[in-house]
Amino acid sequence: MQLSREALLRAYRQMKVIREFEERLHVEIQTGEIAGFTHLYCGQEAVAVGVCEHLDNEDKIVSTHRGHGHCLAKGCDLNGMMAEIWGSRDGLCKGKGGSMHIADVDKGMLGANGIVGAGSPIGVGAALAAKLDGKGKVAITFSGDGACNQGTTFEAMNMAVVTKAPCIFLFENNHYSEHTGFEYAVGTQKDIASRAEAFGMKVWRGDGTDFFAVHDTMREVLDYVRAGNGPAAVEFDTERFFGHFEGDPQRYRGEGELDRIRETRDCLKNFRKSVTQAKLLSDADLDALDAEVLAAIEASVVAARAAPRPTAEDVLTDVYISY
Amino acid sequence: MADIRPFCMPKWGIEMTEGNIAEWMVHEGDAFTRGQTLCLIETAKITNEVEAEFDAVIKRVLVSAGEEAHPVGTLLAVFADAEASDAEVDAFIAAFKPAETGVAAKAAPAAAPAAVPAAPKPIVTNRPISPEALKLAELEGIDVAEIEGSGRGGRITYQDVDQARRPAVSLAPRGGADLPEDDLKVFASPLARRLAALHGIALGPIIGTGPRGRISKADVLALVPAPAPAGASFGAPFALVANPPRVQPFDKVRKIVARRLTEAKQQIPHFYLRVSARTDELAALRKTANLVLGIKASLNDYLVKAVAVALARHPDVNVQVHGDAVHSFAHADVAIAVASPKGLVTPVVRQADRMHIAQIAATTRALIDKAQAGRLAFEDLEGGTFSVSNLGMFGIEQFDAIINPPQGAILAVGAVSRQAAECDDGAIAFESRIGLTLSVDHRAIDGAAGAQFLQTLKGLIEAPEGLFQ
Amino acid sequence: MAQMMYRDAVLTTIAEEMARDPNVVVLGEDVVGGMGTPGGPEAIGGIWSTSTGLYGQFGADRVIDTPISESAIMGAAAGLALAGKRPVAELMFADFIGVSLDQIWNQIAKFRYMFGGKTKCPAVIRMAWGAGYNAAAQHSQAAHQILTGMPGLKVVMPSTPADVKGLLRTAIRDDDPVIFLEHKALYGISGEVPDDPEFMIPFGHARLSRAGQDVTIVSSGLLLGFCEAVADKLAAEGIGCDVIDLRTTSPLDEEAILDSVEVTGRLVVVDEAPPRCGLAADICALAAAKAFASLKAPPQMVTPPHTPIPFARELESAYLPSTDKIEAAVRQVLGWR
Repeated sequence: MQLSREALLRAYRQMKVIREFEERLHVEIQTGEIAGFTHLYCGQEAVAVGVCEHLDNEDKIVSTHRGHGHCLAKGCDLNGMMAEIWGSRDGLCKGKGGSMHIADVDKGMLGANGIVGAGSPIGVGAALAAKLDGKGKVAITFSGDGACNQGTTFEAMNMAVVTKAPCIFLFENNHYSEHTGFEYAVGTQKDIASRAEAFGMKVWRGDGTDFFAVHDTMREVLDYVRAGNGPAAVEFDTERFFGHFEGDPQRYRGEGELDRIRETRDCLKNFRKSVTQAKLLSDADLDALDAEVLAAIEASVVAARAAPRPTAEDVLTDVYISY
Repeated sequence: MADIRPFCMPKWGIEMTEGNIAEWMVHEGDAFTRGQTLCLIETAKITNEVEAEFDAVIKRVLVSAGEEAHPVGTLLAVFADAEASDAEVDAFIAAFKPAETGVAAKAAPAAAPAAVPAAPKPIVTNRPISPEALKLAELEGIDVAEIEGSGRGGRITYQDVDQARRPAVSLAPRGGADLPEDDLKVFASPLARRLAALHGIALGPIIGTGPRGRISKADVLALVPAPAPAGASFGAPFALVANPPRVQPFDKVRKIVARRLTEAKQQIPHFYLRVSARTDELAALRKTANLVLGIKASLNDYLVKAVAVALARHPDVNVQVHGDAVHSFAHADVAIAVASPKGLVTPVVRQADRMHIAQIAATTRALIDKAQAGRLAFEDLEGGTFSVSNLGMFGIEQFDAIINPPQGAILAVGAVSRQAAECDDGAIAFESRIGLTLSVDHRAIDGAAGAQFLQTLKGLIEAPEGLFQ
Repeated sequence: MAQMMYRDAVLTTIAEEMARDPNVVVLGEDVVGGMGTPGGPEAIGGIWSTSTGLYGQFGADRVIDTPISESAIMGAAAGLALAGKRPVAELMFADFIGVSLDQIWNQIAKFRYMFGGKTKCPAVIRMAWGAGYNAAAQHSQAAHQILTGMPGLKVVMPSTPADVKGLLRTAIRDDDPVIFLEHKALYGISGEVPDDPEFMIPFGHARLSRAGQDVTIVSSGLLLGFCEAVADKLAAEGIGCDVIDLRTTSPLDEEAILDSVEVTGRLVVVDEAPPRCGLAADICALAAAKAFASLKAPPQMVTPPHTPIPFARELESAYLPSTDKIEAAVRQVLGWR
C-alpha cells in the first residue's frame, strides 16, 4: 500500500529522531555526564517506527531495556526523554526512572523494562484489558532474541493463546543477547517465530532494516489481531549498531562487521534510497528533515542540561498514591 | 632498707564502704609525730580525724582533699622514715596491693590493712559466654552453670548474667482495662478510643489528624474540658505563676538516713504506747539543782537521765535486735536525736544511767556542738540501746518516732503544756504535763514490758528526786 | 450483622465489588475450575472456594482462568492494572511468590515510582498463606515478611471475617497495589460481618482485641487467636494484656503499638514467619527505637525457628508458635528483673 508523502516524511523523521537521539547519547555518555546504564537502539529504528505508525494512544506497547526507540516511536516527548536520561526533575519520570524505565501510559507506552522478558506477561494483561473493552485495541510486547529464552515469555505466549488475548509478541532479532550470539543461545538455531508458532499462534517474519517491509507486515498482523483472532507473533531480523550497553568493548563482533552493517543494513540509508529512487521524496526533503532533527536533538540536550535537578525530598514522593 | 608503710582508706564500722579526704593536716614531705592529726576523713555518716600512730614522714600523697569518695582500702598516702628514697617509694606504690580482707581499722587506722571487696575469682567454663558477661560473673561470683544463655547457641550474654544476679521481682500487675467497643465506622487509635470512653467524648464528630486521617490521642485530649475556672467573686481570674521545683539531690548523709529510716519503718513491726507525765516537780527540781549545783542541765538532759534510769530497771526494753537475737544490756546507752546541718544524727550518751546529771549535760552539750560542726566521730554514733527524740521545743504535743535500729525502742517527747486537772480534794488546778510516745519493736519487746517501762519513767519524772539516788 | 465464614467474606466482597465496578477483573489458576474438562467450567470453582460462581455471574472476560503460569498471572495483573482495570489476581499459595516474584517486586511495586508518579497500578494479589495443615515446606509459608519490606506494596493480613470484608473492599478500591494474605487455616472460621455493602476498614488501622495494662502483644493472622487465648488465661490471674491485631503490615500502625507500649512497658510480638529480618524483629526494633524510655523489659519475639516448615504433625506443631510459647514470653517480660 502506497504511503502518502506526509506519512513518508513522518516515518523518516521518526526514525531520524531515534537515530540522532542515540548517536548523541553515545557521544554524551563518554563525557561521564550521564549516570547509570544506557542501552542504545541505533540500527533497529525501522522496527519501532514501522510498528508504532499503525498504533494510536489506546493501543499499548511494552518495551525492553533497549527502549528509547519504542518510546520515541510511540510518541513519548523527546525533551522529556532527554531530560529523564539526564536525571533531571523535568524528565518524563522526574529523574526517578532513567533510561531503562521510561514510560508514558497516556501514550500507551507501558514502560521500558530493566528485567529481560518481564514485559511479555504485562503485555498479555494489557491485551486482556483491551479484549474486555472490546474496541479492537491491541497490546504489543517488544522482545529480543535474549528475552525469547525467558520462561516468562513462554508463559505469556501460552496464556495469550489460552485466553485469546489480542497480544502481539514482537521479536527483534538483532543476533546478540547481551554478548552472546543468537546461534548459541536460541536452541532452535533457526528463528524465534517458529517457537511462537509452536505455542499455537500465527506468526510473521520480515526484514527489520526495511521500514516498508516492517510497515506492510504489521498491517497484516494488526488486522488479524484486531479482528479477534487471538495473539500473533512477528520476528524481524535487524541490527544493533552499538554494544549491549554503552561502554561495551564489543570484542565479540566479527572483522569489519560494524562497518558492513552500517553500510548495507542501515534502515535510514535504505529508506532514503528507496524513496529517492522511486521519486517519492527528494534528497533535499530529507536533508531538510535531517537538519531539523539535529536542531531538535541539540535543543533537547541544552534543555536537559539546564533543567532543575531533583532534590532529596523527591526521593520520598510517588511511592504510593496514599499511605 | 627503709620502713615504708601504706596509708589506706580506713573502714570504720561495717557500713562504711568508702570515704573521702576532707582535709589534709600534713602535706607531702612533712614529718609528723605519733598522735598528730593527719587528716579529716568524711564518710556517709561522719567526719573523723585520723591521728598518727607512729612518727614518720609523709612521702607521697596519692589522694588529695576534696576528691570524690574512694573505696575502703584505697592507698591514700605513703609514710616512711626520712631516708626512704623516691625510687623505693615508687617501687612500693607499684607493688602495693590492697588487702583482700581486713579487720576494723579502729585500733590503727593509719597503718592497718583495710578491707576491700573480694578480688574477682576467675571462672573456667566451656560454655559460650561474652567477655563482658564473663567479667561480670567473675566480679559478682555468679555461677554461670546455672544460667541459660539467651544468645545464639546458648551463648551467655551480659544481660543473662545481669538478670541472674538480680533478685526476682515481685509482680504487681495492673490488670486489664476496658476494651472500648470499636464500631468499625469511626476510625480512631485504640488509645484515642480508650480516652474518649474515659472522658465521655463521642468520637463520631471528631475530624482525625492522625496518620491517614485517623483520630489519635491528641484529637481526643483536645476535647477534654479544661478544669472549671476559679470563682468569679474574687474579681480578676487567679493567674498561676511559674512554680518550678528546686531540685536538691540527697547528699550522702541524707541518703543514708533515708535508707535506714525506710528500712526501719518497713521492716520493724512498730507499736506505740502513749502516756503523759506531770512535770511541775521536775521543773522545780531542775531550777533548784541548777541553782544549787551550778550546772546547766536542760529538761531534755533530765529526761535522758530518767530514761536511762528506767532502762536500767527494765533491761528487757534496753535492748538491740540483731537478726533473730535480742541483746539486752545492763546499762543504758541513750542516743539523742540532733538536727545537724547534714541532717538528723543520733550521737550516744553512754551509760547515762551511771552518769550524774551534770555529766549528762556536759556530754550532750559536747555531742550537740560536734554534730552541728559536722565533726561527730564514728565512736560518737556507734551503738546505742535506746533513743530519745524531742520536738517539744517546737510545741509538738506528741508524735510517733521511727525506731533507730538495732535499738529496740525510741521515746518521742512532746511539748510541756498547762492542763486543768482534778486535785485530790476534787478541786480543779492547772498542772504542767509532757506527752510521751514510746515506739517499740514488737519482735523484741512485749506490750507489757513497754508499758511497765513507761510506768517507771512516768514515776521518775513525777517524783524526780529518784534521779539523784 | 450476618454470621459468615472467612472464605465467604472473601467471595462475597469480590462479587459485590465486581457488580459495582465493571473494571474489577478476577484471574488465577482454577478460579473457574474445570475449564477444558469433561466436567466443564465451574466443575470445581477454586480450591479455596473463594471464587465460586463468579464465572457464571460475570463471564470469561472478567473471570479469567489461567494456566499454571504464576509469573504470567502476576504480569497480566500488572498489565491489566496499567491499562486501567482493577485486577484481583489469585496466587493459590503464598509460597508461589517465589516463581513470580519479579512481577510483584520489580514491576507492580515499582511502576508508579519508576514512572515518576504518572501512573497507578491498582492490582490486588490475593494469596493463601500459613501453616497448620501439614502442607510442608512449599505450601505453608508466610510471605508478609518478604513483601512488607518492598516499598510500593501494601500488605494486608486479616484475622477475622469482618476484617476480610472491610479490608478486601478497601484493597480493591485502593489505587496502589495491595497484597492480600488470607490465612488458609482461618478460611473455615465464622464471625459477625457487617451487612453494609460500603463497609471498609482503612489500612494502617490496627484493632485492639484485648485490653490490659501489663503487656502488649502484637500479632495478626492465625496466631492472633492464640494471643487472645493467652491474654484471657492471664486475665484470670489479674494480668492484663493489650492484644493488637495489626490488620496491615504495610502501612504499619506504629501509633497503636507505641501508645500501648508506653502504657505497659512490655512487648511480645508473635509472628508466623521465621525470626530473621521479619515483622517481629521490625516491631521490636520500633519499640526499642521509639519507646525505649517506656520499656521495662526487652521486647520478646515469638516466632518459628530459622528452619523450613516441616511436614509431620509433631514437627509442624513444634515449629509453630503455641499458646505455651506465647505465655512463656509474656511471663518472661513480666518477670524481668
